[in-house]
Amino acid sequence: MRSSLVRQVLFLAALALAPGVGEAVYFRHKISWQSAVLPSESVTVDQARTWGRNVIWVDARPDEEFARDHVPGAVSLNEDRWTELLPQFLAVWSPGTKVVVYCSSLSCNASREVARRLRREAQLPDVFVLEGGWEAWLKTK
Amino acid sequence: MKTPIIAFALSIIISLSARAELKWEQTTIELHPTPADKQAVGHFKYQNPGKTPVRFKSVHASCGCTTAQTQKDEVPPGGSGEITATFNIGDRTGTQVKTVTVETDEPTNPKTVLTLRTIIPQQLEISPNFVFWKQGDKPDPKTITVKVGKEFTVKHIKVTSSSPDFQTKVEEKGNGEFKIDVEPKETNNLVASTLTIQPEDSQKIFYATARITNSPVVQ
Repeated sequence: MRSSLVRQVLFLAALALAPGVGEAVYFRHKISWQSAVLPSESVTVDQARTWGRNVIWVDARPDEEFARDHVPGAVSLNEDRWTELLPQFLAVWSPGTKVVVYCSSLSCNASREVARRLRREAQLPDVFVLEGGWEAWLKTK
Repeated sequence: MKTPIIAFALSIIISLSARAELKWEQTTIELHPTPADKQAVGHFKYQNPGKTPVRFKSVHASCGCTTAQTQKDEVPPGGSGEITATFNIGDRTGTQVKTVTVETDEPTNPKTVLTLRTIIPQQLEISPNFVFWKQGDKPDPKTITVKVGKEFTVKHIKVTSSSPDFQTKVEEKGNGEFKIDVEPKETNNLVASTLTIQPEDSQKIFYATARITNSPVVQ
């Protein structure tokens, strides 16, 4: 009786596993909610601080959040007003300068998108995403 | 052996159908706004086929660019409604995937993730949209490539520089591709120009930046 019950439980578990595995295989290349960031394209607050004045901080959050508070000296560059804000950022960029883009927290995607566009559209080198975003900055303030 | 398994599976199915749970018409919506659209709106419709009311605890969008609204706080048995997700396109391009997380008081499936996939058409792809020369560099021309999006037809583009310090020349390469040569008059002064790129017969204006920068920062 007991072994029969175990067999039934195992059978049902295997039955449930099959579609799960199928979905994982089928959707493996599908777009995710967050753009992937390579380790070489992200930076911690401590690492970025060692770059001293050779860094431009880019705030990818919406205007209201930037207006409330931001990293000292940061430039606002978000996708709501990309066309208008990009020239303002490019006016302060210099060759050899590192760019650190941040958004609200670890879970936000805006910094990844802004960094991606700076690399792809403006073809800037040394563009990094800040790990943990504004929240991480506040913790180490 | 077979009878207990079928009975067990049936009991699960019956208990699942009897509980309070919202049934969503679809949890992923794909939108194709026009170039003129400022917003893309998705309507996620639901029904409560259960015997008890379902209450919304929270509705949370994945980014500040998206808002989500419920029509009601509680869905009675047999009731239906929708959650409206509004994505503000702004100056975003390409495929944008935004999510709305809905939390209800359903005991077994309290969290549902709704996905809004928006394909934003791009009339012109400009690469790069920034060209620069370091102070003292040879003032050789640099090229910006303009590609017309698949859904669009652009035969000519007009390019103007906001500053006389830079000259531009447009070459039509065919197959919806243009090359813009940008040339500074000299590179001794730190000057910049906004290049305005406008497709013929279109109100939409695109921009690129040309600039003479200072020398690299020495650590």
